[in-house]
Amino acid sequence: MSVAATTTTATPAVAGALPLQSVGITPVEASLFAFVLITAVLTALFRDVLASIVIFAAYSLGLAIIYTFYRAPDVGLTEAAIGAGVTTVFLLLTIAKTTRPASDARFESINWPAVGVCGLFVGVVAVTLPAFPAVGDPSSPILTNADVTGYYLSTAYDETGAENAVTAVLAAYRGFDTFGEAIVVFAAGIASLLVLGREVFTA
Amino acid sequence: MTDVTFIDVLTTRHAYVLFVLLSAIGLYMMIANENLVKKVIGLNMFQTGIFLFFITSAYRVGGSTPIVKSGGGPYVSPLPHVIVLTAIVVGISLTAVGLALTLRLYAEYGTLRASALREVIADE
Repeated sequence: MSVAATTTTATPAVAGALPLQSVGITPVEASLFAFVLITAVLTALFRDVLASIVIFAAYSLGLAIIYTFYRAPDVGLTEAAIGAGVTTVFLLLTIAKTTRPASDARFESINWPAVGVCGLFVGVVAVTLPAFPAVGDPSSPILTNADVTGYYLSTAYDETGAENAVTAVLAAYRGFDTFGEAIVVFAAGIASLLVLGREVFTA
Repeated sequence: MTDVTFIDVLTTRHAYVLFVLLSAIGLYMMIANENLVKKVIGLNMFQTGIFLFFITSAYRVGGSTPIVKSGGGPYVSPLPHVIVLTAIVVGISLTAVGLALTLRLYAEYGTLRASALREVIADE
């Protein structure tokens, strides 16, 4: 199996010289983006923590669909399972064990100094946006780089036997890193038990 | 790059714009929300914004999922997907420890509000 020809036909491209209008926003993207943005704002503004958590789960689900639209189904599944699933369970367990303050107001009052800080953050990061390649532009450096992306796409199956290049990199090329990731999860579990002063996980 | 208009950037770098906005909302939640649980939600939101940045950078219009078959392609880049998978797992570990610390703080001080905690700790 050789797919080298499909990925190594790249022409060297200068990031700044890319055609800006090459790819535009599609209606699917626009509606998903609107959904995610609205749920994000509502998560931040709802005063009731339970309402925030439920909307945050919807936000994670919307983001999982965006990942899937961007052809990353592995990440979409993981985000749906962990972001919308496990994170929500952890958050709900936390508020089940604490009191929820009774609140009259439905929304938080807006903290304007914090809005200023975030506006500054947006301003600083946004000035770099024109230097990015357009979303999905086939001539962007990450896609045309034959030594990195091209190498893994063309040799992953021959070297590892995994058709899914994501699996090949995660489990074979970066197997030790994934093992280290398991150690991180283990350490987090130990740290949680230590902080809570328990010996086993109980609900 | 001098004739780039604001609308051009918005319509062709849309996902990067969303990344900036989601990160900013997460940052706002971490700063402004008094409730510690909502601060943790803000941290998660900041993370997901950055994940979106990675996934977007891998995307290619007309590209397919990187499940390599002979004669297939073009594919999106698999490498950012891998790093995001790792980051999601590290993120949930971080969330778990953060929430455990929150529960411990609640057990010790009986409140989840950052300002009240600051007062109680200052009085000790």
